[in-house]
Amino acid sequence: MMNAPFFKFGLFGDEISLVVAFVIGIGFGFALERGGFGNARILAAQFYLTNMRVFKVMFTAIVTAMLGIYYLSVIGWVDISLVYATDTYLLPQIVGGFILGIGFVIGGYCPGTSVVSFATGRIDGLLFFLGVGAGIFVFGEFYPMLKDFFMSTPMGRVSIPEFFNISYGLVVFIVTLIALGGFIGAEWVEKWMAKRKGDN
Amino acid sequence: MKLSFSELSIEKKLGVVAFVLGFVAIFLGNPYDGVDVKINTKDIALSTVDNADKFEVTELADDIIKQNADFRLIDLRSADEFKTYFIPGAANIPIAELGTAPLMKNEKIILYSTDDLAAAQGWFLLKAKGYNGVYILDGGLDAWKDKILFPKLPANASEEQKTEFNKLCEVSKFFGGTPQTDATETVDKEVKLPTLTLPASTSLTTPHKKKKREGC
Repeated sequence: MMNAPFFKFGLFGDEISLVVAFVIGIGFGFALERGGFGNARILAAQFYLTNMRVFKVMFTAIVTAMLGIYYLSVIGWVDISLVYATDTYLLPQIVGGFILGIGFVIGGYCPGTSVVSFATGRIDGLLFFLGVGAGIFVFGEFYPMLKDFFMSTPMGRVSIPEFFNISYGLVVFIVTLIALGGFIGAEWVEKWMAKRKGDN
Repeated sequence: MKLSFSELSIEKKLGVVAFVLGFVAIFLGNPYDGVDVKINTKDIALSTVDNADKFEVTELADDIIKQNADFRLIDLRSADEFKTYFIPGAANIPIAELGTAPLMKNEKIILYSTDDLAAAQGWFLLKAKGYNGVYILDGGLDAWKDKILFPKLPANASEEQKTEFNKLCEVSKFFGGTPQTDATETVDKEVKLPTLTLPASTSLTTPHKKKKREGC
């Protein structure tokens, strides 16, 4: 079960946390839909570099969340050690990333956006969503066979500052630079691709 | 031609804001580094009253055997002492480093040292920093040796004590210990510590058995 942020503070119980999660979930879905993420064509276009919207939205979200969490924790409003971070299993996560990416290009959705798409009445979204469910079921059935690989190359809970042994603030700055550089690059790539398309 | 900030497009304004915030971040330090804390002394005092913050060695042994370990076991002794022996699954954080160790506040943390004292000090440190699920291994490593590794059968043991002891023998063997059947024989002898045979996690970042999955 997933709980709402701040749940670990003990400010509210299970029931309220589910209500909070519900409200945040609606907001997340709304933001995805407004960002155009309910449309498989826009999502898939990212991989053909003709529309960099996914990149821009994702990096905007990353930078906003990163700066928000960083500054709120620096001034003491958020306890960053309560923020859940997934453990790293390097090899299985690389393989999993490729599988998800291939599915993303073929189907045009990631699991979250397929739900958004289905909510707007798209049939491909529904089928993708059913496929996700079927995939989870198949994975669950084969889990005993896959378990060794699934648990291989464990690295525990590592963060970029710890791994490279550089300061936290420097990572914040570097990620911000990557994002800003990415935005400029994305604009450039979009124009270039549009021009190339026009030439053909 | 010079552009003023207000004339920039909204995207560029946001970009400039992000850049400035990102740049300032370099000089603000690590949010994990907070060593100054405010404590609620009454709260902390109350939680010691009913021994709710103690964890029994037998319970710990049971959890390790059943692989129920949903906690982080922290050895507070020095690195040298840690090398000679540690409870399987324990990670070493000398007490001086406890304040800045990358422990999560939402984890159950069990502290142990040779006896209760250092663990209790570490417990207070973490409690003061706002860790709620901190426990002291009751009796520390001494209790672990006495009760788990080298349990003793009293000379005039009752039937009940004998069955209890037989159970303990199994536990002891699991951890590579040697049960002492005759108490008088080994009283003054130095007991040898077992060499570790279990795959023990010594790194702080070794993940839990159970994976929690979250995603987009």
